[in-house]
Amino acid sequence: MLKSVKEWVLLFIIIGFMVLIGNWIGYSVMPFDALPGIITLTLISLAGLIIHQLVPYKKIPSIAYIGILAFILTIPGVPGSEQIVAWTTDVNLLAIATPILAYAGISIGRSWDLFTKLGWKTIIVGMCVLLGSYLGSAVVADIILRMQGII
Amino acid sequence: MAVQALNMWKDWRLHVLVFAIVIVTEFIGIHEIQVGPGVILLLPMLYAVIIGIGLFFTPLVKEKQSINAEPLVFISVTLLIAKFGVQAGPALPQLIEAGWALVFQEIGNLGTIFLALPVAVYLGLKRESIGMTHSIGREPNLALITDKYGLSSPEGRGVMAIYIFGTVFGSIFMGLASGFLATITPIHPYAFAMATGIGSGSMTAASLGPLVAAFPDKAETITAFSGASNLLTSVTGLYASILIGLPVTEKLYQVMTRKKDQDSEKSSRVVS
Repeated sequence: MLKSVKEWVLLFIIIGFMVLIGNWIGYSVMPFDALPGIITLTLISLAGLIIHQLVPYKKIPSIAYIGILAFILTIPGVPGSEQIVAWTTDVNLLAIATPILAYAGISIGRSWDLFTKLGWKTIIVGMCVLLGSYLGSAVVADIILRMQGII
Repeated sequence: MAVQALNMWKDWRLHVLVFAIVIVTEFIGIHEIQVGPGVILLLPMLYAVIIGIGLFFTPLVKEKQSINAEPLVFISVTLLIAKFGVQAGPALPQLIEAGWALVFQEIGNLGTIFLALPVAVYLGLKRESIGMTHSIGREPNLALITDKYGLSSPEGRGVMAIYIFGTVFGSIFMGLASGFLATITPIHPYAFAMATGIGSGSMTAASLGPLVAAFPDKAETITAFSGASNLLTSVTGLYASILIGLPVTEKLYQVMTRKKDQDSEKSSRVVS
């Protein structure tokens, strides 16, 4: 447990540093301005990972704890919520996404051989699978949002 | 997914490579391609995944880096999830207002069955198509199909094929498709935001990115909706597959193949 926490902290420092630099190059936010935000996000993530380790019931994924924790901490009226929102606003979402997909790319390379063996039928069905889920949700959401007059 | 492997932080080769990718891709920046009335957004994250795959085939990346990269995707995704959460809190009133849309769009994830299953059957795929189209085929669904049919069954081969497809191509495809669809269809960006929770962290990031970039004035609400939908899918997605997705796919497959081919319908009954 302690070893895991140490490992996570070190990894978050590495990833956080990359996000700060990416955030600076791509979105012109000075690293020191975004530092409190990235530290906040890291602490929330770390707390979620630790809660997941401590709770014996493992069916709830750790990202659920992280999402809910971050959500609760920033509900208007919760002490400190405004400060957390102000800090984390400086960390651009796209700056977080870039290192994720860079790691993903390097990890994906190993599946490339399998991928090239898939055949054209799988590729077509695969695109329909992704589009179906995405468009299906979007259409349902759109209809209901319009019915409610939100959009 | 638990991260058990230790000392991944010491894999400096991996981190330096990723850092280099981040620097290069962020310098390239965001570009737009006009395609008819729509726009395809090219984001740094899209270049990053392609450069990452490319680097795998150079001597710079060894098997070890590629193996270590996988849990690092998970660790870095947690920061994205935290970012989702802190955007969602302040948007609580909007989330409550849009609550029904958020809940019901989960059912929209079943759209994959109605779009992809007919295509798969039309292309002549047999029971593989059940594994392929009952969901978007990420890890929980791989486990579900393996549990129910076994990984070497036709259904198992099907879900495995889509898993591999999604792993390699999913984020690239969603990254290109999401911004384009949002600019050519009359569907509102908020509805697309809710659709980005499809049960895969990197695909969510890839499909959300172009929305945020294309509608900067709506970015905060888009992120909040996306985060809420992502959370809902991560908790309910597997149960939706077990209770609705898989039975509906089975049923629809039987209806469609009965019309198409009596023989294959009989043989499939033996399997089920």
